[in-house]
Amino acid sequence: MKTTVIAAVSLLIAATAPALAAGQAATIDPPAEGSVSASDGLAAFDRIYEVVTHPRCANCHVGQEGIPMWSGPSYGKTRAHGMNVRAGESRIGIEALACSSCHTKLSEDREGANDLPHAAPRVNAFWRLAPAEFVWFGQSKDEICAQLSDPDRTGGRDAVGLARHLVEDAEHGGFIGWGWKPGGNREPAPYTLQDHVNDILAWGAAGTPCPGR
Amino acid sequence: MQLTVNGKTVEVDVEPDMPLLWVLRDELGLTGTKYGCGIAQCGACTVHVGGMPVRACQMAAADVDGDIVTIEGLGTPEALHAVQAAWIEHQVVQCGYCQSGQIMAAAALLDSNPEPSDEDIDAVMSANLCRCGTYPRIREAVKTAATKLQGA
Repeated sequence: MKTTVIAAVSLLIAATAPALAAGQAATIDPPAEGSVSASDGLAAFDRIYEVVTHPRCANCHVGQEGIPMWSGPSYGKTRAHGMNVRAGESRIGIEALACSSCHTKLSEDREGANDLPHAAPRVNAFWRLAPAEFVWFGQSKDEICAQLSDPDRTGGRDAVGLARHLVEDAEHGGFIGWGWKPGGNREPAPYTLQDHVNDILAWGAAGTPCPGR
Repeated sequence: MQLTVNGKTVEVDVEPDMPLLWVLRDELGLTGTKYGCGIAQCGACTVHVGGMPVRACQMAAADVDGDIVTIEGLGTPEALHAVQAAWIEHQVVQCGYCQSGQIMAAAALLDSNPEPSDEDIDAVMSANLCRCGTYPRIREAVKTAATKLQGA
């Protein structure tokens, strides 16, 4: 069973690589180190927090239990994803039912692909949860700020690395761009992809200040 | 575009965003796969694509990235798949509408997990709804099929 799971995960990840579809564009233009004041950095972080805890982002940034959430204005009461869904250790559901059984992978970022209300949203990547150490759902500002400033939990990325990650994912029509263009009756994440990239860069240039320190 | 369905290569002239379910039912006449909700909430249209269970209403024709197997290709009346045989043995079906999706989901489950526990079965099959409530018989039939496949 374990071998099957690992093999299946490897296949899915390998198949994610050739992503040629057009997505959303944003530019990376970091302010000079130290040119952003701590108070402007904290203001940028407040907006970052609004984005990452918005349902479009936080519903799939959940903890070790691997249960995605249904929350936000279009869902009514906050609740766990229906259908007894568990994403498992793989975070792609392969131990039971792969997320991509319903959230099928788009081969291109087709306009209108997510416009059908209540249908499973789709992106140009195999649907999955973010890594458990990157939990955002229900987390405080302090917790998320500490996490985003800790390279051990960001895959070694500093603020510029995080910005690059956002832009690259959005370029190939992945999850991040979808957050601002979710389709159907889903509320998009606040601000814009470019605003969010700029805020990450400004927060980094200010020395990644956190509200509690 | 070219698709492989139940071992045969077929050519279909369809819009890229036509759901696979429409291609199967309306273009290829394979009506064993059922339309339930059209939004991945019920599982009635489950088929296999590249060996994985997929809701055919949610996969556009252009996004198909593997060989397709439908209920018509899983087994035949003369040579039933172990899951189909177990379904008959346990008389699982009531109205039958959701059952091709149930059977395809169960067959995929047993491909990846040959000895599923009740919890494993529930984790996979909870996304396939049955308004007749055949769930207890589905669970038993999955176990019978698992035993048969392991003995095969």
